[in-house]
Amino acid sequence: MRNAPLPLMLAILAAVFAFLYLPISVLVALSFNDGGLPTAWTGFSTRWYAELFSNADIIGAALNTLIVAVVSTILATLFGTLLAVGVEIRRRKGRFLETIIFAPMIIPDIVLAIALLSFFSLLGVTMGLHTIILAHVVFNLAFVCSVVRARLKTFDWSIVEASTDLGAPTLTTLRRVILPVLSPAIVAGALLAFTLSVDEFVIAFFTAGAGRASTTLPMQIFAMIRFGVTPEINALATIVMGISVLALTLSQRLNRGGLPGQ
Amino acid sequence: MTLLSLQNLQKDFGKMRAVDDVSLDIAGNEFFALLGASGSGKTTLLRMLAGFELPSAGRILLDGRDIAQIPPNKRPVNLMFQSYALFPHMSVAKNIAYGLEMEHLPRAEIRSRVGDILETIQLSALANRKPDQLSGGQRQRVALARALVKRPRLLLLDEPLGALDKKLRGDMQLELKRIQADFGITFIVVTHDQEEALVMADRIAILKDGALLQVGTPHDIYEHPTSRFAADFIGVMNFFPVHSDGTILRADDGTQIAAPIPPGLTGAAIAAIRPERLHLDGYASENALTARVTALAYHGLDLQLHVETPLSPRPVILRLTADQAESRAPRPGDTVTLGWSARDTRVFPA
Amino acid sequence: MRDRRPLYLMTPALGWLTAFMVVPCLLILGLAFFRRGLYGGIEYTLTWENIRLVFDPLYAGIFLKSAWIAGLSALIAVVLGYAAAYAIAAMPRRHQPLLLFFAVLPFWSNYLVRTYAWIVLLNREGLIVHLARLLGFEGELPSMLYTETAVVVGLVYNYLPFVILACYAPLSRLNPEVSEASRDLGAGGWTTFRRVVLPMTVPGIATGFTFVFVLSIGNFVTPALLGGGQFQMIGNLVYAQFLTANDWPFGAALSIFLIAIMMGLLTLQTFASEKASGGRNA
Ligand SMILES: Nc1ncnc2c1ncn2[C@@H]1O[C@H](COP(=O)(O)OP(=O)(O)OP(=O)(O)O)[C@@H](O)[C@H]1O
Ligand SMILES: [Mg+2]
Repeated sequence: MRNAPLPLMLAILAAVFAFLYLPISVLVALSFNDGGLPTAWTGFSTRWYAELFSNADIIGAALNTLIVAVVSTILATLFGTLLAVGVEIRRRKGRFLETIIFAPMIIPDIVLAIALLSFFSLLGVTMGLHTIILAHVVFNLAFVCSVVRARLKTFDWSIVEASTDLGAPTLTTLRRVILPVLSPAIVAGALLAFTLSVDEFVIAFFTAGAGRASTTLPMQIFAMIRFGVTPEINALATIVMGISVLALTLSQRLNRGGLPGQ
Repeated sequence: MTLLSLQNLQKDFGKMRAVDDVSLDIAGNEFFALLGASGSGKTTLLRMLAGFELPSAGRILLDGRDIAQIPPNKRPVNLMFQSYALFPHMSVAKNIAYGLEMEHLPRAEIRSRVGDILETIQLSALANRKPDQLSGGQRQRVALARALVKRPRLLLLDEPLGALDKKLRGDMQLELKRIQADFGITFIVVTHDQEEALVMADRIAILKDGALLQVGTPHDIYEHPTSRFAADFIGVMNFFPVHSDGTILRADDGTQIAAPIPPGLTGAAIAAIRPERLHLDGYASENALTARVTALAYHGLDLQLHVETPLSPRPVILRLTADQAESRAPRPGDTVTLGWSARDTRVFPA
Repeated sequence: MRDRRPLYLMTPALGWLTAFMVVPCLLILGLAFFRRGLYGGIEYTLTWENIRLVFDPLYAGIFLKSAWIAGLSALIAVVLGYAAAYAIAAMPRRHQPLLLFFAVLPFWSNYLVRTYAWIVLLNREGLIVHLARLLGFEGELPSMLYTETAVVVGLVYNYLPFVILACYAPLSRLNPEVSEASRDLGAGGWTTFRRVVLPMTVPGIATGFTFVFVLSIGNFVTPALLGGGQFQMIGNLVYAQFLTANDWPFGAALSIFLIAIMMGLLTLQTFASEKASGGRNA
């Protein structure tokens, strides 16, 4: 690859990055356009953001999203970390186990969504924020687990044996030896789970049940988009994008191991 | 007849000068070794010959034609890479056939040439294996065959035996020499193992910090090193700090040493003597010295003796053949008389 | 004793996955073989009717069209993504992590938002139409939003970062001496690419293609937003069975086929990865 023609390579990079960033940049720019229309720049303004914050529906949806994301992240981080440690301690690697852990990350979201919808309604469970949380934990714990496992691959297990040798019971070893070493990966996994949960639409849409009470931000955005292009959506989209990017950057910083899904 | 001629060849990577003003003629059919420490510019020099680096200055003439601007795929020169660089997705036979396919040779010819060379390197049975199913030595031979099968004018080998164990190395050194003679192709072999260079090469060039220090036959280089570095780099050598006034050489403790002094060398200097040129019958020699044995090391064919002398803080090493050792094996603590002749002594500026 | 310990660590997660993934998915599997009730709902008599219905020309057609759109998107994404990954790998090593980071960054922003960005660009009053007017186009421009092309563009846009990531991994692990060896043996730049670099990086391509295909064929957000209401892919069909038509058994049957396609592709991809380069590049 040292022999690749440099101008061609630079041209490809420029084209691909333009393709990736132009659409979202336009969106961000328009959210600050006073007139709000794509046809004319009428000056910088944050009025659409102000309008956003006075819209009760949106504030409500944002709160719902926050509840879902926080609760599902906490549960997923707990379960996912324990799972990762458990799987890596085992010497035998089971194919079946691996499939079950991997499945939530690759199963088409629509399939999981309708499966859960059928499941909850056949059981007669009233759906709402709690069912969204139950559903989000499913894929979130798989992602946390994969991030933590990546760290455990380079983990020196002899320190665990040393701790046991020095007389510590298993749980003490876990708390005092394993967890401190893993904590950057755990936090990175949690941030990733939080981002995924904040952004998740399809599964939330199917498991939210009837009524507006459990609308999340992505559901709100979906409804607004179907209605048409408005300056408020631009502003909302910019904020949502900003949060995800921030969380991801933070997660990368903490966990130099590379992006999940790699 | 000169095949390859390098003229004031130079390569800079930014501020780093990897190859420094190298001029060298290599004859057709020669087995030439490039010897140098790690980072001395051996690979860089080969990569310029193969066409992967453009020289910063100087010329590369092959059969009198300047090839510096010719891309690697158009040069009648092949390189066997230090990492072997076998194609992992192709079988042994496909790897070897690759270069011939690039010449658009008829299928039948490709098949027969691949078959022949597999025979030569004794890998016919493994023709359909993938590289990662081979041992290190087998991979090395595939890499060699892949470059050789194209019958280049010049074959460049970058540390061809570097990854092999000691025993296999010895066998392959002779094997390489036989193959080179059979094919009648000029070889330039890079190595940092001086013993290997001495065994295989018709001529050796010593590289230091990108510059040529000395070029010559193994005998020349071993017996007549022109610098202290070359003397130290090849084989084992004993050094004594001395002082020259132009005609007489004296050690630090005043002992006079008989040696041919290079014209014009005065002041601090270094005298050097090979272990096998030292003997224990000092009284009859031009140079004689009382010494005390400190250690013995058995090496199979010979016995190495470490002795303490007033000439140098470092122990002097002395090599006795098995016969000599048997007749008179000194023991640690014994006092012996070392001797050596003036013409075996080399003197270099300090 | 040693094997007990991991079990209680894994129990909460495995229990959760069993309750909220395995059981619901098995439920779907079962549902597909029951009859639809008169007013929605489910009638518990066994039938092959739903499976047969999937092969009905009307629905099989939607399957084929979805596969076509997903395949086209995956193909375009792989071509663009591979080129981008190759270009990143050709840059100086110290710049590569940052380039890669920025190539993947959009992937982690909201999917709806990224799709919405294309509505902003493509709609009747959108930026592209506006630019065209400025350049002097008169009259009615052909609609760009709510077309098959818009759906493909949206899918490619959304999944391109992943393809870049997938293709970059094997490209960056490639030993540059291997392609130099090819040049040394007489191959030109293009031949070297076709016969050495490309085959050695097939695993990345297979991963990228599979990923885009699987996520596209079951997608319902992009067709719904960029394809307009009348545009149907399997995802939309499943959506409709559950949320409007109320034919859950048929929706379940469709989902099963979706999963079958996905598993088939993943198997193929694993096979492709194992075949290329025997797994390791040296
Ligand atoms: N592409 C490059 N860019 C910058 N410096 C380089 C490059 N290639 C080689 N060098 C430098 O040039 C010098 C010579 O390197 P070279 O690889 O030729 O050494 P070598 O004699 O082959 O060493 P070894 O025995 O370890 O293989 C080294 O200091 C190396 O760091
Ligand atoms: Mg080298």
